[in-house]
Amino acid sequence: MILAGLVVAGAVGAVLRYLVDRSVQGRSAPAFPVGILVVNVSGCLVLGTLTGVALHHGGTGVGWLVVLGTGLIGAYTTFSTFTYDTVRLLGSDSPTAGVVNVLVSVGAGLAAAAAGLALGGLV
Amino acid sequence: MSAPAVPRRPAHPEPPGRLVAIALGGALGTLARYAVARAVVVPASGFPWATFTVNVAGSFLLGVLVTLVTERWPPTRYVRPFAAIGFCGGFTTFSTLAVESVRRFEHGAAGTAGGYLAASLVAGTVAAAAGIVAARGGVGPRRAPAGDLPDPDDMGTLSHPEPDDLPGEAR
Repeated sequence: MILAGLVVAGAVGAVLRYLVDRSVQGRSAPAFPVGILVVNVSGCLVLGTLTGVALHHGGTGVGWLVVLGTGLIGAYTTFSTFTYDTVRLLGSDSPTAGVVNVLVSVGAGLAAAAAGLALGGLV
Repeated sequence: MSAPAVPRRPAHPEPPGRLVAIALGGALGTLARYAVARAVVVPASGFPWATFTVNVAGSFLLGVLVTLVTERWPPTRYVRPFAAIGFCGGFTTFSTLAVESVRRFEHGAAGTAGGYLAASLVAGTVAAAAGIVAARGGVGPRRAPAGDLPDPDDMGTLSHPEPDDLPGEAR
């Protein structure tokens, strides 16, 4: 059951990432990967919240957290596109954008994850 | 107020096969990530080797794939949605990295959290660059000159012909 849930959740998460990225990126300068930034930070907030709820109710070893957290949000957010974009920006005419991408993604991602964990602990 | 939304990219409607390819790749990548997480047991305050390994390996693979697809292979329709956006995107994860880091900070394992973050960022970026270099160094004809790196999620409408617009057989 867990594996079937992971297959569906992974498929939905990846498609959701593509659609959100395309929809956000279409409105901004193509040089900076703001679409993936929005995907990753929003995913950190949701995974933090789900993990906070699970921790508050006994632990993280529950099936729904594996499917929704590992499956859906794990597939929704991505690390490889983030590192690839960073390399692309570092090698571009404005390498500062690569550093900014790392600092903003990590800073906002950690803050969102911490906020989510605190929020989930209240539920 | 009630003006109809104007589609931003009317020239390229979404081919249904592309979303299916992304979904299939995402499902496979998620299963592969779960398999690694099951194989590598990580204590709550320990170094998250499973996520670290997946993220670094996936960064290398994406660097190889995007370079092959945009610079070396003939135009393809489904390789990039399936393998790059679907599989590599679903295999690697940013949210788990962030939550694992914050939980280690909260457990008083700040050194592990900081080391995990720094190692993931450095190794992941180096792996993506190494994948690009490896794919460029391989044998075979080159289709496009190595210049500015393409956006991995760009379908190629800017730098080379849109595969879905190509005449003839589906590749």
